[in-house]
Amino acid sequence: MIDLSLLPSGIIFGLSLGGIFFLTTVGLSLCFGLMRVISLDQMLYYALGGYMTYTISVLTGNLWFGLVVGVVVGAVAGLAVERVVFLRIYARDITFSMITSFGVLIGGVGVIKYFWGLVPRPVTEPITVQVNLLGTYIPVYRLIIIAIALGVYGGIWLFLNRTIVGKAIRAGIENVEHVEGLGINVYRLFSITFMIAGGLSALAGGLNAPLIMVDPQMGLEVMAFAFMIVIIGGLGSIKGTLVSSFLVGQVVSLGSLFYAPLAQMAPFAIMVLILLLKPTGLYGSPLLKR
Amino acid sequence: MNALRWWWGLVLAFALLVVMRVFLPLPFANEVVIFSIYTIGCNFLLGRVGFISFGQPAYLAVGAYAAGFYFTYFGANPYIGIVIGIVVGFIVALIVGPFFVRLRSDYFALVNLALAVIIYFLMQKVLAPITNGDNGLWYLTNLEPTPVLDLTHPSQFFIFALLVGFATWAFYKYLDDSIYGACCLGAKINEDKLTFLGYDNFRIRLTAFVIANTTTALAGALYAVYLGFVSPEITSPTRAVDPVVVTILGGVGTLYGPIVGAIAYTGMKDVLSQILVNWELMIGFLLVFIMLAGEKGIWGTLEPRLKKLFFRKAASETAGGSKARTA
Repeated sequence: MIDLSLLPSGIIFGLSLGGIFFLTTVGLSLCFGLMRVISLDQMLYYALGGYMTYTISVLTGNLWFGLVVGVVVGAVAGLAVERVVFLRIYARDITFSMITSFGVLIGGVGVIKYFWGLVPRPVTEPITVQVNLLGTYIPVYRLIIIAIALGVYGGIWLFLNRTIVGKAIRAGIENVEHVEGLGINVYRLFSITFMIAGGLSALAGGLNAPLIMVDPQMGLEVMAFAFMIVIIGGLGSIKGTLVSSFLVGQVVSLGSLFYAPLAQMAPFAIMVLILLLKPTGLYGSPLLKR
Repeated sequence: MNALRWWWGLVLAFALLVVMRVFLPLPFANEVVIFSIYTIGCNFLLGRVGFISFGQPAYLAVGAYAAGFYFTYFGANPYIGIVIGIVVGFIVALIVGPFFVRLRSDYFALVNLALAVIIYFLMQKVLAPITNGDNGLWYLTNLEPTPVLDLTHPSQFFIFALLVGFATWAFYKYLDDSIYGACCLGAKINEDKLTFLGYDNFRIRLTAFVIANTTTALAGALYAVYLGFVSPEITSPTRAVDPVVVTILGGVGTLYGPIVGAIAYTGMKDVLSQILVNWELMIGFLLVFIMLAGEKGIWGTLEPRLKKLFFRKAASETAGGSKARTA
């Protein structure tokens, strides 16, 4: 029933998909961990990253340059939204941030439609070379995506564990009041976290752009998967996000080998199963809103 | 006298809807009534129980598709279709409810939206052989005229929708006044104290969840009869915010908020979509603006002022009465 020769490429496809998912959702998870907000506007930076990559790669012919511009734009947009919108709602209830950021997301989709129109745009793949791996040909670009995702995870780990700002952020996730008591400006930490989150989401959008077509709804399309991933992994846990991203990536990829519609349904089934066993997700902490 | 006071707000609200029907086009009036029934479930969950549900379109689609399947494959009587929509919505809410209401409010919101997206894919792709995928089910000509109130006729459908809406509002007003309504509010504000008083938190939430989502399924069934077709579009992720926007626009937790919100929202959609092509931009910034400016919404801001205007003399008495009720 299943063609075994497709399996290696299916696994690589799933891993690269997981990498994209991880980059998209790690921002959501970081923001929740530190600031206790659900920042759905990360999906906007994802779409923005895709569009910046498209625009710059059309103008200059170089996708990597577009990727860098996308990351910068995503980070700046994240900072702007944090300064204007989130600064006013940190003290409010958690669902409040969810509604507001959804407003930002929908409004941002409108902005994208205004500038780039409704038509999906194709982005040319920068590397079309394929390597022979266990008898099947694998596009190198997908391997690069996996490497970048793992590199970003390593970078975040180093940042949180080895730098003073990262340590302050980690301490803030445990207890914001104590960090404030040490004389650290937590609002600056919040801004830095938001910039990192926005930049990473934009990176995910830019990397994914050549694999799918960029269209205004791309942020909303990935949103359902992002939700499932943060729920499975547990909100606020970076490690949980990594594990569940690759898990969902594999489920989508291998599931579609068996039966195509399964790709959309199976992650949901897994999510329900995990919530039944552990309502806070795999690595989620039981702590509530401060 | 007391009974009169209980009813007069409801009667007045629906009398105003009838007046609106005279001055404004019929499709608009129909849309407003169905939309406000659609929203009151979300309003109840958010305002009374403290659950924010981005997944209302899921239950709307359940009601609409249940009615749609009946019309396409089994029968033609609109009334039976609506009843089937309600029953199926009730069953689905009863099945998913126990899993969902145990969750924290943030997870609840995420899981519900995920459910809406899943039902979208289910109807669009997985069940495509019986749902016709994106094209949807079309059965407008199948519907058979009914003797007393002919639901296939838009103007008579409006009367029926108005009656259903009135019944729904009376029911929710009754709920708000009952001990159960107070328990819901308790579950929102402090569940520990509620447990201490001997109430079962889980059962209160589950009941609220089932009631709200059965109402939403009813709205779905009404849509199915009124529009004469069902397509996956009603549960698409871009429309997931509609009920939340209307709830907040009208005023969270207020009884007449959904009606006011539905009128404002549908009106804006009709008027602005002719001027502005970019609807998302509008609704996004409106949402952010309402959330930042004042979360009370239109009716939440208006209500105290209207009360002051009309009951200036009886102000002290009503203030005392309402305080006694909320205490």
